[in-house]
Amino acid sequence: MSAAIEANGVSAVFNQRAGTFGVRRRVVAVDDVSLTVPEGMALGIVGESGCGKSTFARLLLGLLAPSGGDVRVGGQVLQAMDRQARARLIQPVFQDPASSLNPRRRVGEIVALPLRAAGVARSERRERALSMLSRVGLTPEMATRYPGQLSGGQRQRVAIARALVLEPRILICDEPTSALDVSVQAQILNLLAELRASFNLTLVMISHNLAVVEHVADEIAIMYLGRVVERGAAESVFAAPHHPYTKALLASVLTPEPGLGLPDLPLGEAVPDPANIPAGCRFHPRCPVAIPRCATEAPARGDVECHLVQSVPT
Amino acid sequence: MSPVLEVRDLRVRFGSMAAVRGIDLAIERGQTHCLVGESGCGKSVSALAVMRLLPRGAKREAGAIRFAGEDIARLPERAMRRLRGDRMAMIFQEPMTSLNPAYTIGSQMTEVLRAHRGMGRAAAVERAEAMLTRVGVSAPGMRLGQYPHQLSGGLRQRVMIATALLCEPDLLVADEPTTALDVTVQVGILKLLADLKRDLGLAMLLITHDLGVVARIADVVSVMYAGEIVEHAPVGQLFAEPLHPYTRGLLRAIPVPGKVRRGEKLATIPGIVPRTEVGFRGCAFRDRCEFATQECAEPVAERVEGAHHWRCRLASGWLEAA
Repeated sequence: MSAAIEANGVSAVFNQRAGTFGVRRRVVAVDDVSLTVPEGMALGIVGESGCGKSTFARLLLGLLAPSGGDVRVGGQVLQAMDRQARARLIQPVFQDPASSLNPRRRVGEIVALPLRAAGVARSERRERALSMLSRVGLTPEMATRYPGQLSGGQRQRVAIARALVLEPRILICDEPTSALDVSVQAQILNLLAELRASFNLTLVMISHNLAVVEHVADEIAIMYLGRVVERGAAESVFAAPHHPYTKALLASVLTPEPGLGLPDLPLGEAVPDPANIPAGCRFHPRCPVAIPRCATEAPARGDVECHLVQSVPT
Repeated sequence: MSPVLEVRDLRVRFGSMAAVRGIDLAIERGQTHCLVGESGCGKSVSALAVMRLLPRGAKREAGAIRFAGEDIARLPERAMRRLRGDRMAMIFQEPMTSLNPAYTIGSQMTEVLRAHRGMGRAAAVERAEAMLTRVGVSAPGMRLGQYPHQLSGGLRQRVMIATALLCEPDLLVADEPTTALDVTVQVGILKLLADLKRDLGLAMLLITHDLGVVARIADVVSVMYAGEIVEHAPVGQLFAEPLHPYTRGLLRAIPVPGKVRRGEKLATIPGIVPRTEVGFRGCAFRDRCEFATQECAEPVAERVEGAHHWRCRLASGWLEAA
């Protein structure tokens, strides 16, 4: 199977200034990450806020030029393509459809806009927009409404319709259900699964909710402070997590089982700061099983980046 | 023992829209009562009504709100202000919007003690430091000199909790206190709330949309839908045998690792929560309910079996019969 999208050692480094007279800080949001998503597969990326997962999404979309490395889609470097070509290959769905949809445009216009940008004739635009709306479960009557007149779930359906109207090969979803109620979340996850099959989409699903990712993804990448610290097939990562951070993340999922009480999380107080990445293993200040070596020596590159885990180098 | 908070037939409307349609709540000392439901079901409005903090445009009708035996529904605002922050306190989802960005943590925390307890500055600072330590904030002396934006989300929420508990209230109302936080931080905050409840004998009203949180922290659960409590039971009973079709639907829609296989569909509840006008009759869930009949357009009486209450025409055991 060929790679639909691959990141080769991509980094994103920002020079931030804290306030007008503040000190310059070098923020390494994504640090030399390599990932490959084969055609038709779904990759889930999980991590806490500040781990660089949304920055990574912007790199994969070509919305942000990498500070190092490159992103390739179908073998071609994404940054070298023009916007039109990129838009036909890869499209985003964001967390909050209330802010990613233009409130002054009708739903029909919103969904048809990518077609107009791609130079599709007016008559065909309308037809394709309406047919895509019905694919995501919205009636033609919805096309005349404004986003403000829709529910959260309906708005997310519009965002998905807009992303798919050019029939891209890759869909990057950044927390697509985090702003939704659990009953609506289930509807959207089912819809994504259905569309993925019928369009043979390659999916990258970013979320802080492991349960959501588990339901959708074939493969999982766990991010911590800009690096992927564990990766593997979804089943094996969930059944037998190796990295202490992955274990902590899994333990913190609150399943609806009364009587279990709240789990003990042996994570330290330290708050991860991408402007101040610890020496050695970046997770060591919070790690419950750290050994002296972890503070001085970075773990070897591999599927599991941890001194205490025997891992197969990639 | 009489409950710390007892709400009877609380109703709130916004114009012709009925947001809360006659709810009852009772919370005892040392008890965590979870109010759970989807957005727009009226759970936050109910909490604000209890605190007498409803926004302009909202109208509370009838209903009794008894706090420590006294009906506070008609208490003058001056007397309410003495209660709030002292005997009853509330924390919110996003601490950034409820902490004042222009004042230090210290000045916001000591203000509470100076207003309610008439404490001097030194004593108030000492008490604030002790409370920050209690909620697991390291270096409390330094934190008091910092501004809210200098703290992480988890720390800000701890500061909010510390501020709410300075006067050792009898009732803590927590509206989605961990929704904006990372899962790992969420566990820490919930543990803290559970410990504080036990140690201080708090009565806690916790509002959330997350049934995972409910399962792990609640003693008693009330499920809200379209302004009504449709099911109410001790936590174990509610999860073991949900009796309202809405509760069942909510429980089945949660993705649980290892429970629903990938490739299989998650159960959903079709449709959306309806807006209920004043004078709405019948079961508000009937348009989304797979078991609805014509009967459901008629007003629904509450069914009671032991400590389990639910508002549905279906009797217990309906699932086995169906």
